[in-house]
Amino acid sequence: MVYLDYAATSPMLPEVLDAMHKAERKYFANASALHTPGHLAFNEIEHTRELLAELIGAKPTEIIFTSGASESNNTVIRTFAGHKIETSQIEHHSIIELAKKVSGKKMPKLYSYMLANNEIGEILDLKKIVEKAKKEPIPKSSELFEPVSEWGKPLVTDRRGGYVHSDLTQVLGKIPIDVYKLGLDYATFSAHKIGGPIGVGALYIKEGVPFSPLIIGGNQENKRRGGTYNTVGIIGFGAALEKIKQEKSWGKYDTRVRELRDELAKRILKEIPGSSLNTDLKPGKSLPNILNVSFEAAEGESIQLYLDAEGIIVSTGSACASGDIKPSHVLMAKTGDAEVAHSSIRFSFGLESTKEDIDKTMAVLPGIIDRLQKISTVKMRKK
Amino acid sequence: MENEDWIYTEIVKEHFLHPKNFLMGDESKFKYDAVGQVGNPICGDQMRMYIKVKDDKITDIRWKTYGCASAIASTSALSELAKGKTLDEALKIGAKEIDDYLGKLPKHKFHCSVLGHEALADAIAKYREKK
Repeated sequence: MVYLDYAATSPMLPEVLDAMHKAERKYFANASALHTPGHLAFNEIEHTRELLAELIGAKPTEIIFTSGASESNNTVIRTFAGHKIETSQIEHHSIIELAKKVSGKKMPKLYSYMLANNEIGEILDLKKIVEKAKKEPIPKSSELFEPVSEWGKPLVTDRRGGYVHSDLTQVLGKIPIDVYKLGLDYATFSAHKIGGPIGVGALYIKEGVPFSPLIIGGNQENKRRGGTYNTVGIIGFGAALEKIKQEKSWGKYDTRVRELRDELAKRILKEIPGSSLNTDLKPGKSLPNILNVSFEAAEGESIQLYLDAEGIIVSTGSACASGDIKPSHVLMAKTGDAEVAHSSIRFSFGLESTKEDIDKTMAVLPGIIDRLQKISTVKMRKK
Repeated sequence: MENEDWIYTEIVKEHFLHPKNFLMGDESKFKYDAVGQVGNPICGDQMRMYIKVKDDKITDIRWKTYGCASAIASTSALSELAKGKTLDEALKIGAKEIDDYLGKLPKHKFHCSVLGHEALADAIAKYREKK
């Protein structure tokens, strides 16, 4: 199998599987318990927390673990329920849909913008957003600033008119991250995009900013997220972070993975008529592991499944794939062209990807596209 | 992938990987009596059906599509089912018959099998108008 869908989820690393198997036997105890096995489990969780903090330039106390990126995103948006919330059209649904539902007119305002988009890999400029947030007038009073009265509500020492959240799920490990330099107040992370398990995520919450827990329950995470610690999952996340740190993975993405991606792009453009790139390949403009391409007159889900039948795994922004009737909201926002969105395929690479993957893909892709174009009701603009 | 469990049944797979009666390239290659069309590429699905008719019977059929796997497989199936049928009989081949023939499409893909039927109905209507 040629797996080119790393941006959807990545296979678990052998180191992660080992760490989790061991943890299942060794760290089964409830990490909140005061006995020795509980303490030992807790120490492992704290080790992961320290690793993530180090990798993103934060303090360990500024990180909580969640069930994944959607929960992390929901937690931040819910904190600002009833307040002004500004996001872009290309955010993850766990931001857009909830923001639509709960945003209001109150200040302070939340800005939620991703640093890199998951479908076309575009890297966005957060500086402008951070500057805009800084200029928002500080309200004289806000329920968000009130002294601790509710469960898990921290003391807000950093009172501002605008706060910034960023979903960094696709970015972790791919390019270096420093949440302070980026000027972020909140940031979302996920384990399964870096070779860790599905079902574990993290949220960075800058010290002193407003916060309210999504899950109210026990004292876990300093009352910021109730629920028994997912020790095994968090240990798996830690093993994946350890690998990123040791390998300085962003360096490898910037060289080896970028070269693979660019080669596939070059070959597609050269060998397949009617192909066009939705990803800007220039360094700094996109994540080095994502390539989004549209194939004129060929429908994305069919391309995806003909590739699937050949053992090549990719994703598409076309409607039918998700059971939705609308094409990818990201590609629609970016291109404004439904046909381009319906004809799009995303190839996303990981550190395990090889030159052979590219060769195997290009051995079948031109034939698949040619056939679909020939049976298509859509005429090619040029030959 | 070899014979690992694919998301579709074997027969859907067969019609998807080796679709029957589709019209490759230029449509002038097939002498048809009427053509019907539904959907549009903006919605991600378009289907065109070409029929040849003699003595009120469909003697031959071709189709083209900009559509998903289920649309390809179900239209391939429909084209096989419709060949040799009278126009009235062909009109009775609905989404359910196609679904039964293919051994069930995934639930959320059921709507895709309607496309071929609608294109065929349109072609038959056009043929009758012409007469």
